[in-house]
Amino acid sequence: MTDSPYILQAKNLTKIYGENVIFKDISLDVKKGETIVIIGPSGTGKSTLLRCLNLLTPVNSGQIFLEGEEITAHGVDHDQVRQKIGMVFQNFLLFNHLTALGNVMIGLTKVKKMPTEKAKQKALHELERVGLADRAHHYPAQLSGGQQQRVAIARALAMDPLVMLFDEPTSALDPELIGEVLGVMEQLAHEHMTMLVVTHEMGFAREVADRIIFMEKGRIVEQGSPEELFEHPQHARTREFLGKISELYGKKEKK
Amino acid sequence: MKKITWLISLIVLVSLLLTACGGGAQSHLEKIKQAGVIKVGTSADYPPFEYVDENGNKAGFDIELMEEIAKRMGVKVEWVDMPFDSLIAGVQEGKIDCSISAFNYTEERDKVVDFSEAYYTAEDAFLVAETFTGSITKPEDVAQYKVGVQSGTTQDDWLTNVLQIPEQNLSRYDRADQAALDLKSGRIDVMMADAIPAKALAQKIGGLKIVYTGVLSSGPMNIVLPDGDTELAQAINDILKQLQQEGFIDQLAQKYFTE
Amino acid sequence: MINQFFAYILQGTSVTVAVTLVALPLGLILGLLFALIYNYGGFWVSRFAAVYSLVMRGVPPIALLFILYFLLSGQMVNLSPFWAGSISLGIISSAYQMEILRGALQAVGEGQMIAARAIGMTRLQAIRYIIIPQAIRLAIPPWSNEASIVLKDSSLVYAIGVPEILRRAQQLSATTQQPFLAFGAAALIYFVLVFLVNRGLDLLAEKTKLPASMA
Repeated sequence: MTDSPYILQAKNLTKIYGENVIFKDISLDVKKGETIVIIGPSGTGKSTLLRCLNLLTPVNSGQIFLEGEEITAHGVDHDQVRQKIGMVFQNFLLFNHLTALGNVMIGLTKVKKMPTEKAKQKALHELERVGLADRAHHYPAQLSGGQQQRVAIARALAMDPLVMLFDEPTSALDPELIGEVLGVMEQLAHEHMTMLVVTHEMGFAREVADRIIFMEKGRIVEQGSPEELFEHPQHARTREFLGKISELYGKKEKK
Repeated sequence: MKKITWLISLIVLVSLLLTACGGGAQSHLEKIKQAGVIKVGTSADYPPFEYVDENGNKAGFDIELMEEIAKRMGVKVEWVDMPFDSLIAGVQEGKIDCSISAFNYTEERDKVVDFSEAYYTAEDAFLVAETFTGSITKPEDVAQYKVGVQSGTTQDDWLTNVLQIPEQNLSRYDRADQAALDLKSGRIDVMMADAIPAKALAQKIGGLKIVYTGVLSSGPMNIVLPDGDTELAQAINDILKQLQQEGFIDQLAQKYFTE
Repeated sequence: MINQFFAYILQGTSVTVAVTLVALPLGLILGLLFALIYNYGGFWVSRFAAVYSLVMRGVPPIALLFILYFLLSGQMVNLSPFWAGSISLGIISSAYQMEILRGALQAVGEGQMIAARAIGMTRLQAIRYIIIPQAIRLAIPPWSNEASIVLKDSSLVYAIGVPEILRRAQQLSATTQQPFLAFGAAALIYFVLVFLVNRGLDLLAEKTKLPASMA
């Protein structure tokens, strides 16, 4: 590809739903291997931003570049682009009629047209990566929430994405199941997977993130290393938010 | 725009081709003779004119008559069994070559199909339960009772248009035997039908009697032919005349109508 | 004699089964197509599908049968009574099957589509590999109901001269004056057919059923 230092780049993205400005003028550079955590109050457009980045939702203006190539340009095949950007959803969204193995395989066989046997090997490998090889033949309904989310991660990983987007991956989970999912994500970060994570898990953010972005009301208020943000926040709003969130999630963070 | 033009030309072309193939110089009669088969529609639920016998074969006065006509035309009959109401449409749209099903001439029908010469003249009958206490001495008397009739028949037409029975007093049935069963059970007081099948019904079902017979609604029975098909009409009329003269039809009537 | 009569009525079964075997799959294909158009098509095609469903559910089957057989057939194509009848029933059934499948497709949920698109599937791939397999499972029970209806409605083809079970029963009822016997035999045959169809589809539903949530 091109020699852009960034895997993913967003320039001046704006998203408007009717009268509502979801976010405005957002610019973002994601380097290869970087783990970025986006935090901020609910309803500030973090999830919509992720959906816009992999073209599930169109932006009203602005440009997005993947490996230096503009994917918001006219005539770009969105389906091709999405293969290269993995996405993990808050409510897992596993395919209910397929086993864990089937969920991971289907993108390989149908989208990448990989031969079944090869796809199966790869899918099993991905399930192993998330520690679920022994659940390969279970259907989503037979798996716990944490297991489902790990299968969803394996499903996205199987496509060998350049970057992974996580949209509040642990918000729908019972507290005791959150750890196993965060564990998998932490491991991915160590393997230098490029990741963009929207979450309220401050412990994860502090330990794993290379950079933290604080978003509010559709704008990036502040960004920096965990240390900068947690220890020396520049803006009053950031301080306020971090204060509230640690009150809410404080107990969990200690673990 | 271009696509539409293209589509229209295609449709025109196809219909031209179809017309070209379909519109041969052969007449209807020639086609029947060449095929060796005449497709005849009938509603085989009207004994003794047309019905299905114990072996599942078509039988009856009309059936045997038509088989004989076809034999003399040098063709075989391919029977097409349809409900009575569909037969006229069948002839009209050329789905069947002709139809024999105890049809009577009516002006309405004559507008859309043609009729052969009469092959038999039917009388109408009023049928009542044996327990019937009313009195019917002339046809008009039925107007005061609840009357049943097979829908779409000439009797239906006569009751509706000539006698003008109020709708609430007239029950129309798909088949004559349904009316007869309702008559027996007392749901209707009188039933009007062709005299011959009425007699047969009265005998089979029991507890019914005929109180009046006469030519009211129908009169002569004719074979229904396609509109304007004079050639086929001529061929069939000629054979009917022969059969009349030879006494074939009288013998047939003897066989089916006197029991 | 009763045996013979029963055999005569039974001969109509092949017609009933054949008509159903044409009408039902035809209705399924058209119904699925229209359901997909309705759910995923643009504004106008989706409107078109809705109108199609409304009209076809409003038309009495016999009216469509007569239009197709007496009016249209012979103009462009020549349809035998059997085909005219089977196709009319298939078209009417397609409107009902469309409603069944439309509901089933909607019940699968928007999330499944989003997840499928997120791994790079095209809309068509998502519909084919993710949405339809789940929708079909949901549709089997109501579809079984529609199959029974088509099976029984197939008797309508008698109106254009195809002697199926009911018409044969009518004929025998007229000949023998024993309507209870004749129609009883017909009812028995229908009952067996409907029972077999429903049982078969129950088995299919059982076989394709997904494991229940462990809750």
